[in-house]
Amino acid sequence: MVETSSPSSRRRFLSRIWIGLGIVALLQFSAGAVAFLTSGRKRADKYTPRLLEAGAIGDFPLGSVTLIGKGHLYLTRLDDGGFLAISRKCTHLGCAVPWIAERKQFECPCHASIFDMTGNVIKAPAPRALDLFSITIEHDTVIIDINKRIKRSTFTAEQLIYPQELG
Amino acid sequence: MSSNLLLHFRPRRVPEDALRFTLTWGLGGMAALMVVQQLVTGLLLGFLYEPLPVLAFESVQHIQNNVFLGRLVRNMHHWTGHVLIVVVFLHLLRVFLNGAFCPPRQRNWLVGLGLAVTVLMANFSGYLLPWDQLSYWAVTIATSMLEYVPLIGTFLQEIIRGGVEVEAATLQLFYSIHTTIVPVSLLLLMAYHFWFVRRADGVLVAGRERTAFMDKQKSVPASELLVREVALAAVVTCFLLLFSMFVDAPLGDMANPQLTPETVKAPWYFLGAQELLLHVHPVIAVCVLPLFIALFLIFLPFGKKKAGKPGALVKTLFIAGVIFLLGLTVTGIWFRGPGMKLVWPW
Repeated sequence: MVETSSPSSRRRFLSRIWIGLGIVALLQFSAGAVAFLTSGRKRADKYTPRLLEAGAIGDFPLGSVTLIGKGHLYLTRLDDGGFLAISRKCTHLGCAVPWIAERKQFECPCHASIFDMTGNVIKAPAPRALDLFSITIEHDTVIIDINKRIKRSTFTAEQLIYPQELG
Repeated sequence: MSSNLLLHFRPRRVPEDALRFTLTWGLGGMAALMVVQQLVTGLLLGFLYEPLPVLAFESVQHIQNNVFLGRLVRNMHHWTGHVLIVVVFLHLLRVFLNGAFCPPRQRNWLVGLGLAVTVLMANFSGYLLPWDQLSYWAVTIATSMLEYVPLIGTFLQEIIRGGVEVEAATLQLFYSIHTTIVPVSLLLLMAYHFWFVRRADGVLVAGRERTAFMDKQKSVPASELLVREVALAAVVTCFLLLFSMFVDAPLGDMANPQLTPETVKAPWYFLGAQELLLHVHPVIAVCVLPLFIALFLIFLPFGKKKAGKPGALVKTLFIAGVIFLLGLTVTGIWFRGPGMKLVWPW
């Protein structure tokens, strides 16, 4: 880099080193500050299950949608007995979506997106179906993991969870 | 000493043709005045406000109902915050149309853009603080728009919310931004902004040749300017004070994450983006277009070699953009009712 011996070029070289060091120091400081601000936070990607007992299978009649208030979600039971735990959060801009029983659909108050019982989009602007939560059924009790949010573009039959065959 | 410092910002004499009101409409001065007012009222509110969910809402209620002049101070802080955004926008428009962004003022244009962003940040971070339904859901919607940014959307959203949802951490984050980063940046950038104006020999007067030293005949003592500024400041202060005496700042029910109200809108200055989100692909509305606008504004002064009004193409593009965004914003504010259905505002 230092090809000439004139003092001005040496000075320029040194001052460039200072500037470079300054930038490195600034980057280090910024990285440290970002880590300081973010490391202590509850994070979405640090996954620990948080299980919520929704209730016994018998509490949810076929073809019903029940609000599970604590987890901000709905438990849908389809006519064939399959369960879906559907998030309340609209996929458009995050409003809480109420279930309108008389029309059997979710209607978002913010931008009038409409979803059917399975969370599928009936009317835009919502870009994709409502998120799901993971469900397990143990001893005829529906258990929802409210920390395990499953994003999906549309409803498919594989998402349904069925109770074990009654013996 | 103090007069020496002052002379970095203000000259002893000012050119007579720079006094004309319609040259600047006093918009920059108005904005500066309002920032100072916000600092004063904000400082007062800060002594009584508590940045925690539930307590935040209750402390705002307490300020409104039990504190001497509390309602007035909060009203002023609220309304001035909104008027400030309008004034800053008009100031930007004026500077553009006068061609005052051209060299040698190109760096001050950038400082001004920084100030505009800081003012928006000030208003948005303040929006959440009352912790009522209006503020909670407006911030939820506005930060949800970030989710549509490709690749880093969710990451950005989590940074701004300080978590996954709008919650206690968000309130604390917004409060510290609102009361530390915002006022310090505003004061520093303003000092820089004024100093740059001074260095360019005051405001731009179109058609006048820039001279190395002021012509005694055409200049008047700076007190001539000062008396005009004080008069305008008095008028503006009176207007804001009277408005705040008669119109209360809104305070709805306390924030309830379980219940979205009938009509939810982002803060009005983001309603253009929200409106656009209903019509075009989300990536265009929240990513491509804002980025394009930002780059256009940043590189605006560097396309020109010397002073003069903006060229026909740039001017057309700019004005078309302004009309487009204004149209969207007006639709979003007044023509959208519950469920974002189109309604008449009357």
